[in-house]
Amino acid sequence: MTTISVKESSSAPGRTPAPRKKIHVSGRTAGRAAILIVATFLTLGPVVWTILTSMRSPTESLGAGGSIFSGGLDFSSYTDVFKQVNMWLLIWNSALVTGIIAVGQMFTAALAGYVFARIDFRGRGVLFSIVLATMMVPMQVTIVPVFMLIRGMGLSDTLLALILPAIPTAFGTFLMRQFFVGLPGELAEAAAIDGASPLRTFRSVYLPLAWPGLAIVGILAFNFHWNEFFRPLIMTISEENFTMPLGLVSLQGNMGTGSVSTVLAGVVLSMIPALVVFLFGQRYLREGLTAGVNK
Amino acid sequence: MSDVSRRAMLGLLGIGSVGAVGASWPRLTGADIPGRGSDSLNVAILGNAQDAESRANLVKAFSAAHPNIKVRIQAIQGADWGDFFAKILTMVAAGTSPDVVLVATEGAQLFAERLAEPLDTFVKRDQSEVQDYFDDVHPSLVEAFMYQGSLFQLPLDFNSANMYMNTGAFEKAGLSRPGDNWTHDDFYNSLTAMKKTGGKQFVPYYWTNRLFGGVVPWLYVNDTSFLKETRSTGGNWFWDKFYANDPTRGMRSGGYQWLEPNAEDPRVAESFEFLRTLVAEGLGTSPAQGGGNELVAQFASGLIGTTPAGGYWVQGLHEAGMAEDAFDVQFFPKWRTQRHQFGAAGYAIMKTSTRKDEAWEWIKFCASKEAMELAIPNPNTTPTRRSMVNEALYSGKGPAHWQVFYDTLDKFPSSGPIPAPPQQAAVESALIKNVLGAVTGSAANVRPALSTLQRDLELALRRV
Amino acid sequence: MSTTTKSSQIPTTPAGSRGSRRKDLAQQRSGKEKGAKGLAALFLAPTIIGIAIFTLIPIVASLTLAFFRWDIISAPEFVGVDNFVAIGADPTVRTAFLNTMGFVVVAVSLQLTVSIGLAVLIQSKMPNWLRTFFRSAFFFPLVLSASSVSIIMSYLFNQNFGLVNKVIGMIGIPAVPWLTSQVGAMIVIILVYVWQNFGFTFLLIIGGLSSIPTEMYEASSIDGATGWKQFKNITLPLLSPTLLVASVMAIISALQIFDQPYVITRGGPGDSTRTAVMVIYETAFKQLDFGRAFAIGIVLTLLIMLVTAIQFRLSRRFVHYN
Repeated sequence: MTTISVKESSSAPGRTPAPRKKIHVSGRTAGRAAILIVATFLTLGPVVWTILTSMRSPTESLGAGGSIFSGGLDFSSYTDVFKQVNMWLLIWNSALVTGIIAVGQMFTAALAGYVFARIDFRGRGVLFSIVLATMMVPMQVTIVPVFMLIRGMGLSDTLLALILPAIPTAFGTFLMRQFFVGLPGELAEAAAIDGASPLRTFRSVYLPLAWPGLAIVGILAFNFHWNEFFRPLIMTISEENFTMPLGLVSLQGNMGTGSVSTVLAGVVLSMIPALVVFLFGQRYLREGLTAGVNK
Repeated sequence: MSDVSRRAMLGLLGIGSVGAVGASWPRLTGADIPGRGSDSLNVAILGNAQDAESRANLVKAFSAAHPNIKVRIQAIQGADWGDFFAKILTMVAAGTSPDVVLVATEGAQLFAERLAEPLDTFVKRDQSEVQDYFDDVHPSLVEAFMYQGSLFQLPLDFNSANMYMNTGAFEKAGLSRPGDNWTHDDFYNSLTAMKKTGGKQFVPYYWTNRLFGGVVPWLYVNDTSFLKETRSTGGNWFWDKFYANDPTRGMRSGGYQWLEPNAEDPRVAESFEFLRTLVAEGLGTSPAQGGGNELVAQFASGLIGTTPAGGYWVQGLHEAGMAEDAFDVQFFPKWRTQRHQFGAAGYAIMKTSTRKDEAWEWIKFCASKEAMELAIPNPNTTPTRRSMVNEALYSGKGPAHWQVFYDTLDKFPSSGPIPAPPQQAAVESALIKNVLGAVTGSAANVRPALSTLQRDLELALRRV
Repeated sequence: MSTTTKSSQIPTTPAGSRGSRRKDLAQQRSGKEKGAKGLAALFLAPTIIGIAIFTLIPIVASLTLAFFRWDIISAPEFVGVDNFVAIGADPTVRTAFLNTMGFVVVAVSLQLTVSIGLAVLIQSKMPNWLRTFFRSAFFFPLVLSASSVSIIMSYLFNQNFGLVNKVIGMIGIPAVPWLTSQVGAMIVIILVYVWQNFGFTFLLIIGGLSSIPTEMYEASSIDGATGWKQFKNITLPLLSPTLLVASVMAIISALQIFDQPYVITRGGPGDSTRTAVMVIYETAFKQLDFGRAFAIGIVLTLLIMLVTAIQFRLSRRFVHYN
């Protein structure tokens, strides 16, 4: 299979050399640098503030007047988070739920996206539109019937209640379809000439090339479900089934009397896994987006 | 990465995830949760991290006293009462409603009207067992949970809207702690004095735009409210049984009723105008909708002179590092009256429950002093039992005049609950969305804003 | 729906060349046709069955219940189109929809502008590590949950104590009543939403930019075209397919905005930041009027479909496939 050469994603995103050179470089470059620096400051500023505030003692957390940088670091808020909620269980539940959803979405979206992109059949367009249309219905409208269905299946108050409804993904299917559409059709023809079955064509020709697209679906699914609040609120009952965002809310305490720095420490802790996934997946994200969606 | 290693990766990922799913199957299906699915009594509360430990102790003690009743607490992690209620409703819709629900004043009448079972027969049956509870609890709190002559909940904790003061800011302005019967003029003068000495960032009066501690306390002390408050008849069976000798017996009724809007009452306009003046003169903040989470931290860092809050604040301020002598508390200032607003909460039995007797045992147990001490080890709310609001609860955390919390009820027995008819949610949003317009514009703007409020409230009360 | 059907074909690669080749291969393929159909059914099953169960059935249920009065507690009562009539007459619903549409126009334009601008800037000559740093910085907000962001932002935008007012105070601007003025609150909601969501659009556009062949720029440089002219004549047209996808996604999700106003402003002051989904949530879970809430949900869904269809229709004129 490696003999079939595809342009693929190595068309090096971001490596495009700057189109213009030399002509009054200094002024323009300075302007561009300034914009980028301000933008970085604006995007990271609130995050930095959160991290710094979470590392101050509760008394000083929003201290009067003082600069953010004054005063020593204080990690008591972090120990407080672990004291107040069962952090390890929350992490484990969230990891299980988001991990399985992510893999499940990659799997189902790859299959369905492939069919919508490459196999013609009657009613394909209609079916695809219906799938797309489900993205347009706000979750608040369907949550009650979904909860009733889950109960009917005997799954209420389980992590599966969070996982199963999230695995079929309209968004992921859309992305994967765009991705497969972007891959050259000649591949299938070549494989057909070689006598490969449709299944084999998918498995050996297209799927290996779809890796960046799958990575996007997986990473976005992980990110979205890791941070999800409303569905877990409604779907889980026992504390043993809570996910991270529910734990974060409980740190806010009765009538908002929880400590600010503890709440923010919880926020910082919860963003680490999503951040790690994002940083590691960044390359695939870029490649995938480059190769797929833009066709 | 070559295709081969990608495929290997995919394969690994597949195997790994299948393995993970298999290994964690009990976690995924909740099979590893003890007592789940068995015939336990399901108790739903709005739970947060602060009281997780006391919750566990409570269940342990209950199980010791009632070994044949299994209890499962469902601590719902709503950010507020609205989230909590959304959750309970969904459970009701799916036929998995809990047996007992902790309901706050906000939802008391909605539950009484639609979802809850009256406690009348139970209270009558076990009169001797619950007498001790009623002897220790102020009747105003109980009356808040009477609805059309029936009792629906035994209140376990409450909070009045008292006035918190930053003692440092008061001293700096040359003020001493105000007297018990300070007036709204005294209050105004204190704010003016503090503003002069407080510094640039300092806010003399900070308030939030919500049902508890927003405009309502100012309406109550002005002997009015934004809804017409009446009482229903009935309930004598209860008061004669449990509060026959109470000095306020004559005031008690079959429960509150809020049937009509009252926003165009001149006194309502008067209270709003007072708040408008505070905002216009920079003495009070203009209150945002939502928010309020930052309040404890801001108050603890000395940026706020006064703010309305109840006993629930003490623990938060303590944890935020505020010394016990850095703040104090006083009654809400007097106007035409000094009637206070309070909120309270207690368990209600769901109509749909098949374990009503067990549910009642839980309620009775939680009302006992032993249980209440387990449930409220810290002053993050105020216990309804007078005997528990004592030195021990507040020692080391302040405030010096913690007696204010319970004295509010004794000194002002007409103090009443948050106005919360069964249509509370609609009523609350009608109020909240019109407050800011009324208090931030010009004086001429107050009355038109209140007319809008009146109209919105009429719509809200027609709902459901 | 039919508009969407047809138009959903648009972003595919032009089928012309494939079509002719398809004929050539027809014979070889006919044997495989059956196999392919079976494969299609098998592959679609998980998604289609899953969506049918967990989305379509609930949607049909909600659709049906929109014609009922239902408070969840008692049995639903049929009321015909009353719910739809009622929402037409409800000023709060009207305000919420207008707010939502205003929000979408401003937020999505801002989101696209910021993303395009930064994506173009980041293509400038710079060391690779620096480019990676900027890129990571720009999508960082994406990893935060909307509710944490909302908590953080309520602190930052607090009129009296917030960092934002402190910072602009340093340059002499008086404290802005961010959350307590109608305009201020909407600005905060827009800024917070865009801050958190532009990262995804940004990534899409980076991808789109890098697939533009460098030769195009070089050729036009020789012709003397610079900066803005190049951007207008090369970048934008070649980016248009990406922009279509990005804007469709951005609009679909912006029309469903809920978390930010729900936590930061509760829809206030007044109704100034109340959005369509907030009204759905409040009507259902707070006012116990599920029928009416579902009716509002249907109206919103139809609106989203309409907007999407219009976008695809317009895209025929503005989107260039080369």
